[in-house]
Amino acid sequence: MTSRDGAGYLAVALIAAPVVAGGLYSLAATVGIAGAGADGFTTARIIAVFGDGATWASLRFTLVSAFVATVIATATALSVSVLLRRSRVARAAIAIPLAVPHAAAALGVLLLLGQSGFLSRIAYALGLVSQPADFPAIVYDRAGTAMILTFAWKEFPFLALTAWAVLDAADESLSQVAQTLGASAHDIFTRITWPLLWRGVAPAVIAVFAFLIGQYEMAVLLAPSDPLPLSMLTYERALDANLQRRGEAHLLSLIALALTIVLVLVHERFRANSDALAQVVEHDA
Amino acid sequence: MMCCAALLTVISGACGTSTDKANRASSISSSTGTAPTATSGAQAIAALPWDSVLARARGTTVLWRMWRGDPAINAFVDGWVAPRLLSHFGITLKAVQGQGAEIVNALVTEREAGAGKGTASLLWINGETFAQLRRERLLDGPWAGRLPNARYVDSSSAIISRDFEQDPSGFESPWGTVQFALIYDTVRTPNPPRTFGALESWIQAHPGRFTHDQGFAGVTFLKMLMYARSGGVAAYQGGFNEARYTVGRDSVFAWLRRTRPAFWRKGETYPPDVAAMHRLFANGEIDFSMSFNQNEVVTKVRRGVLPSSARALLLQDGTIANAHYVGVPFNAPNVAGALVVADFLLTPGAQYEKQRPAVWADGTVLDAAKLPAAWRSKFETLEQDPHALPADSLHKYARPEVAPMYHERLQADWRATIRHASK
Repeated sequence: MTSRDGAGYLAVALIAAPVVAGGLYSLAATVGIAGAGADGFTTARIIAVFGDGATWASLRFTLVSAFVATVIATATALSVSVLLRRSRVARAAIAIPLAVPHAAAALGVLLLLGQSGFLSRIAYALGLVSQPADFPAIVYDRAGTAMILTFAWKEFPFLALTAWAVLDAADESLSQVAQTLGASAHDIFTRITWPLLWRGVAPAVIAVFAFLIGQYEMAVLLAPSDPLPLSMLTYERALDANLQRRGEAHLLSLIALALTIVLVLVHERFRANSDALAQVVEHDA
Repeated sequence: MMCCAALLTVISGACGTSTDKANRASSISSSTGTAPTATSGAQAIAALPWDSVLARARGTTVLWRMWRGDPAINAFVDGWVAPRLLSHFGITLKAVQGQGAEIVNALVTEREAGAGKGTASLLWINGETFAQLRRERLLDGPWAGRLPNARYVDSSSAIISRDFEQDPSGFESPWGTVQFALIYDTVRTPNPPRTFGALESWIQAHPGRFTHDQGFAGVTFLKMLMYARSGGVAAYQGGFNEARYTVGRDSVFAWLRRTRPAFWRKGETYPPDVAAMHRLFANGEIDFSMSFNQNEVVTKVRRGVLPSSARALLLQDGTIANAHYVGVPFNAPNVAGALVVADFLLTPGAQYEKQRPAVWADGTVLDAAKLPAAWRSKFETLEQDPHALPADSLHKYARPEVAPMYHERLQADWRATIRHASK
């Protein structure tokens, strides 16, 4: 074991320790031997959480809204990075959503897109609607429309910056060789630029998806009251008026942790692919 | 290494819990109502001559865990109470966020960590939080009756002497009273409904213009509806009764199923809290907001959050009034300081300032008849804000809280059957 390996293991231990400790504590609270309302070992909370329709509705809503937002953010980021590849203005402008705090973005959307929001008032002034209820309900709606759009708006700059970095790093000589060999612009994009871009961005896409699954501060301002995102359901259980029920929050956290672990594994796999490709390209060039 | 240490902490923490549990169980069976640490606890300190309590408190800091969601309340605590505590008693007051369930969770965690003294010395509590803290033996006491200013407290008021039907038993000291009120706009709704029956007709005639929030105020609204639709408050008094609750809940849910399609957003979604509801109300999206403080409309109009034509409204079926208290946690690092702060909050001066419309407009817990003449006349001539409700009608329609379990069950059942099934 080299000293570099040792430092690596230490770093892993430092990062993992709080998660492991928290996970074990949550496990103890789930089975009723720790935390508020703990009354001794029981599997009642596990049965309650998995038997509760609200849990499944919440999981479905959380995964679907995070997935849709990630798809929108990725599509926007890739389009922007390819179409505006050399635009300095675009690169500067993209820093704006990046700099806005998540809660501020959500509040802004609430004031903009709410049924009594800014756009609704403009629509009213133009005679398009006669009362707030006529304006489309996309805030607090069951589909989470405004929430998903806000998720996408906040996350696409991160993906676009990653995409630009990948494009900047891509070796021009590959494209030049292809061109010399008679490849069309279309061929160069689909067979060289796109594979490099996608493999470079994919790990970041997984990271965005994982982040959005756990999102709380945007969700709390924009989500419907049913179904609740997993983060909000967890918080609601953690503060439940029934002390015995608070242990359910720990089980919901463990479910969120399990989702994240799966995504970390997927992320690592994508990253390994991306690294391998980069090495092949380096070697060939 | 780190990992192992963390593991050990968790394991020992979990073990600590079970021993704690055993200790608690034995102390519950052996005695009732005494502080766990009688020698240095709140009961012992409160028994000392008051000068001695003041001497112990001088030069200390009191951390007060309280709801920090209202700028008017924060301004009173930070800008009026804190500087006086410092200049009169040499106490530094630090108010930090933490309310209800958060307080209970934090104290359970502190006990599990087994770190001796905790962080907060004073807690702002009432109702179910008080019930849970008492059940889990997380409060120190009794001490409240020993405070010098406790003699002014209106002990004849059922609202103050019982906290959700529980006897405070000296484990919490009152410092304010509030009453539930709807908020409406006199311009938009010149003739507002004044009973639940009239409210139902109004909602049906104005679809999309009424809702309630999902928090404490919303559940209180449903509880008032339960009183009104099924037997009055008397039917629910004397502790939780499952059969009585079921009848009451079913009548509330029948009303909701009938009326909800005409709620804001067809009752498919609800504002998370009263702040969100105030926003919808101010923006003209709904025609009623609500508050568990009859005078919130006074402070919110003054701050420009609500339109100047906003007024409070009491439903004549009765609206719930309750008192709020301060308690001392079992692991308070500064019991003497906490008692001095609790006593200061009961002084006529602090109670008067707190009740002023320009400050917080929170109801006093003092009995004017017990006060020195000068203070009595000051309270009697306290300026009345034009937005405030007259005291006699507040008193006329006030209904007490019932056992916390009614609140707990109604909230859980509403979430599971009305909110979740509202498709």
